[in-house]
Amino acid sequence: MSAPHVIIIGAGSTGAATAHDLAMRGVRVTVLERGEIASGTTGRNHCLLHAGGRYCVKDQESAIECIDENLILRRIMPEVLELNDGLFVAITEDDLAFKDKFLEGCAACHIPARDIPVKQALEMEPFLNPKVLAAVQVPDGVFEPFRFCLAFLATAKQNGATIRPYTEVTDLTRSGRSVTGVKMLDHRTGKTETLGADLVINATGPWAEKVAKMAGVDVPVSPTAGVMVTISKRLNNMVVNRLNKPSDGDIVVPQRTTGIIGTTSWTVLDPDQIDIPQDHIDKMIHKGQEMIPAIQQTTIRGVGAVARPLIRRAGGDEREVSRTFECFDHQRDGVDGFVTISGGKTTTARAMAEKVSAIACAKLGVQAACRTRETPLASYRLYYA
Amino acid sequence: MSRDVPVKMFRFKPGDAAPRYQTYRVTVPDAANVIDVIEAVWRQDASLTFRHACHHASCGTCAVRLNGYERLPCIYSVAEALQGRDEMLIEPLRHFPLVSDLVVDVAGFFQKQEAAGLVITRTAETSLDGRRYSPSELFDQAGKLTDRPYNRFENCVECGICISACPTMAATDKFFGPAGLAAINRARQQTDDPQRKSLLLALADGEQGVWRCHSAFECTHACPQDVDPAGAIMSLRHDLAAQKIKRLFGGQG
Repeated sequence: MSAPHVIIIGAGSTGAATAHDLAMRGVRVTVLERGEIASGTTGRNHCLLHAGGRYCVKDQESAIECIDENLILRRIMPEVLELNDGLFVAITEDDLAFKDKFLEGCAACHIPARDIPVKQALEMEPFLNPKVLAAVQVPDGVFEPFRFCLAFLATAKQNGATIRPYTEVTDLTRSGRSVTGVKMLDHRTGKTETLGADLVINATGPWAEKVAKMAGVDVPVSPTAGVMVTISKRLNNMVVNRLNKPSDGDIVVPQRTTGIIGTTSWTVLDPDQIDIPQDHIDKMIHKGQEMIPAIQQTTIRGVGAVARPLIRRAGGDEREVSRTFECFDHQRDGVDGFVTISGGKTTTARAMAEKVSAIACAKLGVQAACRTRETPLASYRLYYA
Repeated sequence: MSRDVPVKMFRFKPGDAAPRYQTYRVTVPDAANVIDVIEAVWRQDASLTFRHACHHASCGTCAVRLNGYERLPCIYSVAEALQGRDEMLIEPLRHFPLVSDLVVDVAGFFQKQEAAGLVITRTAETSLDGRRYSPSELFDQAGKLTDRPYNRFENCVECGICISACPTMAATDKFFGPAGLAAINRARQQTDDPQRKSLLLALADGEQGVWRCHSAFECTHACPQDVDPAGAIMSLRHDLAAQKIKRLFGGQG
């Protein structure tokens, strides 16, 4: 019997990690992506390898996922990570009052954290606001989103996967109640084709609802935009976070020669139509300066906004929604051969892949176990081998 | 505040006899960068293919020729692109096989980068030992974070701008190229292994290595990340020449 064929729609972090997971289990994989690799949510994300600190008080499920995956990614893709840790800094008395809750949250989620003297923090980060009242160090890191995806896809290709960028899925083919494959348009050639599959996985992040509609099913994913402002100079070695519950402009992620200030949060109707409000950009600069005053002396290098896929649950505003992920087997909606994986974050992409791959393998009768926790990834450049 | 931007866009699909130029008009915010213009064109015409990911000059995918010069559109402002011009002209990089519209085939380029073998998470500026850390090294026996030197990504984003700007690449795509030679130079700084050092020097000394460079310095001029590939090439030449002189006078080299 030949290996089952799975089509994955989307080559962001989730699609890339899922291609790797399934290819290693012997499944025949085709990844279809309408643009360049990581040209959607993943590419424009904040590049933060979460230690989980941001969620350890309000959303411990996400926090634990983050620290678990953080430690796994350090093992499997060291090449595409800057591992300089993160500092959570208190600027106001209100921030300072949050510190005990934060340290308790870190302990509860087994996030290694150390409360360091302010003097030491200022020596480590000379551009930090000298009025800082407290600083807690956690093992945050920084990744490079494009190469993060390439590393997964390079390994998937070595295990036989086919990756087709610039190929947009325009519809799903169906037979009765089953999805049997896709109709697709190759934007490079303008040609349309159909491709059959034993299972189609919808890994399109905030576009998940749009793609699910092609199968006549609904997924509760809200595209939630956020603005990120990149400044002209790198002012911090470590990730600098505001020691408080998540809010606008509470983090400066350093990368290469720059720093990325983020972020805001508002629900949008269409992830392809995001207008960046000028006041969000101003707010990032203003709030960023509360932690790193020298941001005032830098210029803006780039501004980006992208929609995150947040899973809708009953009640709460978008800041309160859990950042965890969910897998929907649409058999529950009466549609076979079609699964959606969405929510989550790039840091947890491997775990998302493990979950959706387990469901896919169970449906396809594939026995092989997941090996992505311990398998080092190929060099990202081998995607082009 | 927003502005109307006229764009002359290079268009080409496999099978076309020749490329053509198509003019679009898009509206973007005053403070927009050129990548926002390209995305706005794509919203009008989904048949346009272009490369992009991070929008902050880290991934290196979006490089194009803007008004005849190699640029990263994600960090190049519309205001500057329209200075003294009525419309902006956007074309793909040169010296790469053309795939579709602004998309070029970067496979050969990345194969050369891989041959140089540069590990991208390390810089001599702050991460002095360049080591990588396993989770067990992150924490001490009490589970506390250990003190470690900083590491960070190399400045080179492998965008291909230097390849497009290089006059030698125009003559032959076999040339190892500015980015690849700069990577070789960084890779030899990273290693203390004399055998690896001499292998890297030999690669730079090869038929397609540093001696093919015409010293035009276009790469260093065009680089958006201040990598200075030409400086790296000169440094490799200097050390190779010194090695040859040493050999000539009976040293082991």
